[in-house]
Amino acid sequence: MKLKSSTLRTFTALHTWVGLVAGFALFVAFYAGAITVFHHDLMVWQSPHAVEQPVGTLEDAQYLLDETLKRHPEARNWVGMLFPGEESAQPLAYWPDAQGRWHYATPDDLQGGAEPPSAALSELVNALHFSLGLPVAGLYLMGIVSLLYGVALVSGVVIHLPKLVEDLFALRPGRNLKRFWQDAHNVIGVLSLPMHVMFAATGALLCLATVVALALNPLIYGGKLAEAMPAALDTAPQMAAAGTPASPGGLAMWRARAQEEARKRGLDAFEPTYLKLTHAGDANALVEITGEVPRTLGSLGAVALNANTGEVVASQLPGHRDINHATLSIAYRLHFGEYGNAWVRWLYFLLGIGGAFLFFSGNLLWIESRRKRRQPEQGKPQVWMAKATVGFCIGACVAISTAFVAAQVLESHGAAWGMDTATGLNVACFGSWAACLAWAAVRPPIRAAIELLWAAAIVTALVPLAHGAMTGAWLWRSAAAGHTALFAIDAGALAMAAGFAWLAWLTGRRSRTGERNSVWALPAGI
Amino acid sequence: MWARATAGIVPGFFLSAAIVGLASWLLPGPWQSTLVLGGLAFFPVWVGVFCLGFLFRSGARAWLAYSLLAAAGLAGLALLRHLQWVQ
Repeated sequence: MKLKSSTLRTFTALHTWVGLVAGFALFVAFYAGAITVFHHDLMVWQSPHAVEQPVGTLEDAQYLLDETLKRHPEARNWVGMLFPGEESAQPLAYWPDAQGRWHYATPDDLQGGAEPPSAALSELVNALHFSLGLPVAGLYLMGIVSLLYGVALVSGVVIHLPKLVEDLFALRPGRNLKRFWQDAHNVIGVLSLPMHVMFAATGALLCLATVVALALNPLIYGGKLAEAMPAALDTAPQMAAAGTPASPGGLAMWRARAQEEARKRGLDAFEPTYLKLTHAGDANALVEITGEVPRTLGSLGAVALNANTGEVVASQLPGHRDINHATLSIAYRLHFGEYGNAWVRWLYFLLGIGGAFLFFSGNLLWIESRRKRRQPEQGKPQVWMAKATVGFCIGACVAISTAFVAAQVLESHGAAWGMDTATGLNVACFGSWAACLAWAAVRPPIRAAIELLWAAAIVTALVPLAHGAMTGAWLWRSAAAGHTALFAIDAGALAMAAGFAWLAWLTGRRSRTGERNSVWALPAGI
Repeated sequence: MWARATAGIVPGFFLSAAIVGLASWLLPGPWQSTLVLGGLAFFPVWVGVFCLGFLFRSGARAWLAYSLLAAAGLAGLALLRHLQWVQ
């Protein structure tokens, strides 16, 4: 396909600038997002004894629900609960208080706390993924970043379009390093394009839905969005409390009724995963049972019941739901990779790391294409871009691995030191990240790159060591005991550590033998 | 560059709203049934409109064209709703 050269120039400039502006945030979103794919496993990995914990029963869950409603009157308005099972071995209840703060309780901690148990590490990695760890504004920032990412994708395809096919399988290693980086950037970008399009669209939706809904409401929905929203998003209808007390049914009855309803729709394998209960103890109490139907794309479906009688009020089940619920379920599952089995999660992990590489290599290409070939002294913007890329991106890898190590140490010793795990993880993660940025700022970029890559390799290799030393769950023991999730996290960390060491070695070689006139050559006299 | 970029951001936003709005109301069935799909589609539509803005010969043309199209689209939608030709 032929494009006008002015169009190509415009879109190349557009691609470069949105890439530079959004690339840093996207690197973190993809690197942390790749790890977040395994967030349930991370919770088990963080907690020293979670893997030995037997899966709770429905009676445990009923006990937790009864106690939660008895001890915390505010939970009677709205309470959610995870059924014990694959997602969490023990049931977990959660509810907002009058100020909107969330509380979490388990059968072992009926009084409840502000953090779900053993979730500090997975919560931190997830927060880095969707908000860079910044409160409130981070979410909107990432929404804007998602839009810029969309623009980068469109402009990237446009500038690549004329030579799409011939370039696709061209990966030309050799003396021309810029061409090699360009090829790698293009190949990964084009091959994972459908996934990137999906992430850009669903990422923007997840971050900006509320803001855009506010803007679109008067423009195109005639101000009627607020009344239409609950029916589009929830299964149970909105209902006010009747004010007359009633005795609620139990979990076993709700589960049986929801499964019966699913069977009626031809879905034999409906397994409840969580519930939402509103107005508990009132005549208008409603319960929404959400469950999984295996081997469907938008595999979550829900049945809403009268919580007292078990009568079915509404249902949104795969194959039998409206467009809103189908879209929501499919978009959600596609974004989080929660369809299919472990292969899909590993594929998402690899695509996530590949995406992080895409943004990193974009910055390298910017630096490389502005290289002054005839002089050792490179331009200030290029040097600072190199420092920022190295400090921020490799720093993020160091910071996340540091948080992993800190999670193990704090789970074992945090209580004795009087340090809460979540706070300690924040200090470890953001402290080490800031240190990497400062290091990159004061060192020549190539030195900082090599040193920070070695730091990433060492800290990441410490991840399985810390896990083994603190809990006794050395990776060979996890493998022998059949704890595949624990083994996979430790082995994955070792593989990543080897990867960082390899990159450090390659970067070191480039600094000595590569072209001299570059920000990546060792400065004379050092 | 900036004039065309801002054309994509400001009137482009309203034009994208008009496109999504017209699609939501003109498709068969009540508009409520495509709320989530419309919300999801809005972002790619806006990104597309933003990128197309760079094909204009000048920023002023982009602003003018997008403003006129957005106004026409939103006014058309309001009229269709007012006359109850769409639901």
